Amino acid sequence: MHSEPTRGALPPRRKSAFVREMRRHKTLYLMCMPALLLLLALSYIPFGGLWMAFTNYKLLDGIFGSEFVGLNNFRLFFISPNALRYVGNTLIINAWGLLLGLVFPISLAIALNELRRGVFKRITQGVMFFPYFLSWIVVGAISWALFNTELGVVNSIYRSLGWEPVRWLARGEYWKGFLISFNVWKWSGYSSIIYLAAMSNFDPNLFQAAEVDGANKWQRIYHLTLPLLKPTAVVLTLLSVGRIFYGDFGMVWGIVGSNPVIGPYVHVIDTYVFTSMRSLGFSYTTAVGLMQSVLGLILVVGANALAKRINDGEGLF
Amino acid sequence: MQLTKRTGRRSIRHSRGDSLFKALCVGFVAFFAAVCLYPLLLVLGVSFSNETDVLRYGYSVIPRNFTTDTYRYIFLQSGSRITDSYVITIFTTVVGTLGALLVTGMISFALSIKQLRYRNLIAFVCNFTIIFSAGLIPWYIVCTRLLGFNNSLNALIVPGMFSVWYMFMLRTFFADIPPSLYESATLDGAGYFGIFWRIATPLSTTALLTIGLMYALNYWNNWWNALLFIDRKELFPLQYLLYNVLSNVNAIRGGRMPPGVGSVRIPAETVKMGLTIVTIGPIILLYPFIQKYFVNGIMSGAVKE
Repeated sequence: MHSEPTRGALPPRRKSAFVREMRRHKTLYLMCMPALLLLLALSYIPFGGLWMAFTNYKLLDGIFGSEFVGLNNFRLFFISPNALRYVGNTLIINAWGLLLGLVFPISLAIALNELRRGVFKRITQGVMFFPYFLSWIVVGAISWALFNTELGVVNSIYRSLGWEPVRWLARGEYWKGFLISFNVWKWSGYSSIIYLAAMSNFDPNLFQAAEVDGANKWQRIYHLTLPLLKPTAVVLTLLSVGRIFYGDFGMVWGIVGSNPVIGPYVHVIDTYVFTSMRSLGFSYTTAVGLMQSVLGLILVVGANALAKRINDGEGLF
Repeated sequence: MQLTKRTGRRSIRHSRGDSLFKALCVGFVAFFAAVCLYPLLLVLGVSFSNETDVLRYGYSVIPRNFTTDTYRYIFLQSGSRITDSYVITIFTTVVGTLGALLVTGMISFALSIKQLRYRNLIAFVCNFTIIFSAGLIPWYIVCTRLLGFNNSLNALIVPGMFSVWYMFMLRTFFADIPPSLYESATLDGAGYFGIFWRIATPLSTTALLTIGLMYALNYWNNWWNALLFIDRKELFPLQYLLYNVLSNVNAIRGGRMPPGVGSVRIPAETVKMGLTIVTIGPIILLYPFIQKYFVNGIMSGAVKE
């Protein structure tokens, strides 16, 4: 190893250390370049555009030539009743997603863990994982097959039971629930794999000891499995909490799209930004996105600190 | 005597409780699997039904009169729209995945070399983009004004080419390779790129395959870049074509039309489901072979995706 520059080294010597390092590992730094250029173009240069949030952006004046309006765009957001409604939708859909994203995957993992290796287990697990591979557009097609008024399966069932068919696509109040269910449908198999992975690392001696002591299945799950799964569940939950102000654009747009009747019930901040970028202007929507990012940053950093405290120094990233 | 009797009774009760539990587990798993499978069977069933039956009796899993008319319409009578979209999707998936693997592989390898002094700084530069971003609008403006993504295939390839999550996964794999394997190559005069290409890459084929498949799935399922940047119909990827057909079934027609089918009526309902099957077809066919790689990927740290 070459000698490290001493603490008291003068700036010119430090600089030469930098140059030496660059020369020494030129190939490695070059190998980082394509990825770093992509990040520069798609993540770092856009930061410059955040200035639009504080201006009244006009195409002709350019990003840095437009009139400065201070925090006016942010003020507009807080006095707009629609905007706050979409914040509410985002939080409600995500909170349910978070809760059911614990309940279903964990119970599925526990149930799968009880099954003997074999065809039944392999097939059911494969089937439950499959929705993860589908795009939200395909889920949108499935939603059409289930809920369209004339031909949909749900209304066929209603008719055969002698009930009045419902015009689902014109009844926005149901769709938050539908979206939450589709989300559970798409992600449960995926998340259960994470919990199964955690369970495969459990110490079997603990469970045998509990069995010898006369603990039945339920007691073993309640007193052993669930506490042992807690660290995994905490990490996943904190990750979702960190992203609670980010709506799932793909889910909402793929299933509901631009349906104007359902829109107000299910649109989240992300779809609001997308649909209003032309009508309400780039400055306003940039401001909305900026608030979302700042809140996200605070929550993620907070969640990470909390995860470190709970999981003996192991953070989220 | 008394003791054995008691344990005996308890173990019976105990095993009855346990078998009840086991039955509940089987039931729950079977139920959830059925819920996951049913919608797919429904889509498949309708795609093999005849349009008149669907219009009369509604959607159902079992076709009343089995027919492949829908697929005949999709592939032979609707014009070249679908084959164009298939080509776009396959092209972007293949090119994007190979490019992404190279870009991600190189930086992951570089950051796994402990002698690289600024590797933590570079890792932070990557990490920061996951915890803070400028949001959609500045990104959109950069993509359209600076990178010229409007109606360009680049819009479907470049944005998905580097995922920081996958980079960190791959770096963990590379970091597990013992450096002694590299040293002999260094003595033979190989540079770092040579080590990466001839030693590190062949040793991590499973990891590369896993991450490649994850990138490929993202490319295959991507429609959101098309929604933002593509208006020209001949550049629509498959998913985005399906999105358009679901809201307006006429979107399926167009491109070069085969002669004499201009007046064929679109079997609107079955076509929607048939196109859905066409869109997910390759995934279904490959699923038995690729599933395990995704499971491995999730287990080795895609937790954080």
